[in-house]
Amino acid sequence: MTSPTQKVMIVPCSGIGKAYGTVSREAAYAVTEDLRPTKTRLVPLALLVLGDEDSRTDIASYPVITIDGCKLACAAKMVRQSGGTVVQEFAVLDGYRRHKDLKPQGIAELNEGGQKLACVLAEEVAVVVDGIMSRNHGGENA
Amino acid sequence: MPDFLEITIDKFTFKVATDRFYSKEGVWAKEEKRRVRIGLSDFVQQRSGDVAFAEIKPVGTLLAVTEEVVVVETIKVNIAYLSPVSGKIVEVNPAMTVAPEAINQDPYGTGWLTVIEVADWETERARLLDPQAYFESMKRQAEEEVKKP
Repeated sequence: MTSPTQKVMIVPCSGIGKAYGTVSREAAYAVTEDLRPTKTRLVPLALLVLGDEDSRTDIASYPVITIDGCKLACAAKMVRQSGGTVVQEFAVLDGYRRHKDLKPQGIAELNEGGQKLACVLAEEVAVVVDGIMSRNHGGENA
Repeated sequence: MPDFLEITIDKFTFKVATDRFYSKEGVWAKEEKRRVRIGLSDFVQQRSGDVAFAEIKPVGTLLAVTEEVVVVETIKVNIAYLSPVSGKIVEVNPAMTVAPEAINQDPYGTGWLTVIEVADWETERARLLDPQAYFESMKRQAEEEVKKP
């Protein structure tokens, strides 16, 4: 792992066709495109499954946060199997348990509850990203 | 630790504990001196998916057979399960409010749902399936699930 940390890799679930998988990807997009675009990079799980060299190098070089839709935790398992270090695992199901009013439904298009849950999760991930960057930059919040 | 009947169908392995009885829907009932502990079978928990919430009827509730005892919300479905026995709820698994995933992780152990005081276990038991009968029923259901497109 390089030091100081310049990026945090975000690897969401690839559960296509499932509401919880969609929430994980929406949360990952929110973190990498809106909340912390300069500090994070999204690594698609499918590329790791295919053995993409650039993706494997990225997750082996930087800390990784995974966002899994269900308890199978495919993202976390695949990152570890590919030589990466998962510094924090998020599970959409755990997020839903904390926010029972935000029940995710829909697949191609998430319902309002699912969208809000994705935002809540994204905020939680962003906080963890800040913590990682802060530690690796000696308190500097880059 | 109970012994198990076990079968692998497709990529799934299902276990049936041999020290208890079952409703046709896969709710197990284990007698403990006029009290009956109940929970969901391994097949039921695997078919239902990861549990998000389990809302169990409170202590003191009087249940008739086949009356709803718990509503389980999973990532796939919301399902109401019926009590396999009649009686009064005397204990509810406290873990269900904070860690209902125990249903998935340990369906025959820490994932139990509730304890019911029954008047006549022998009569209650006569309505239930023994482990071998449930195993055969579960096997048929699992094989049908696998055939679904």
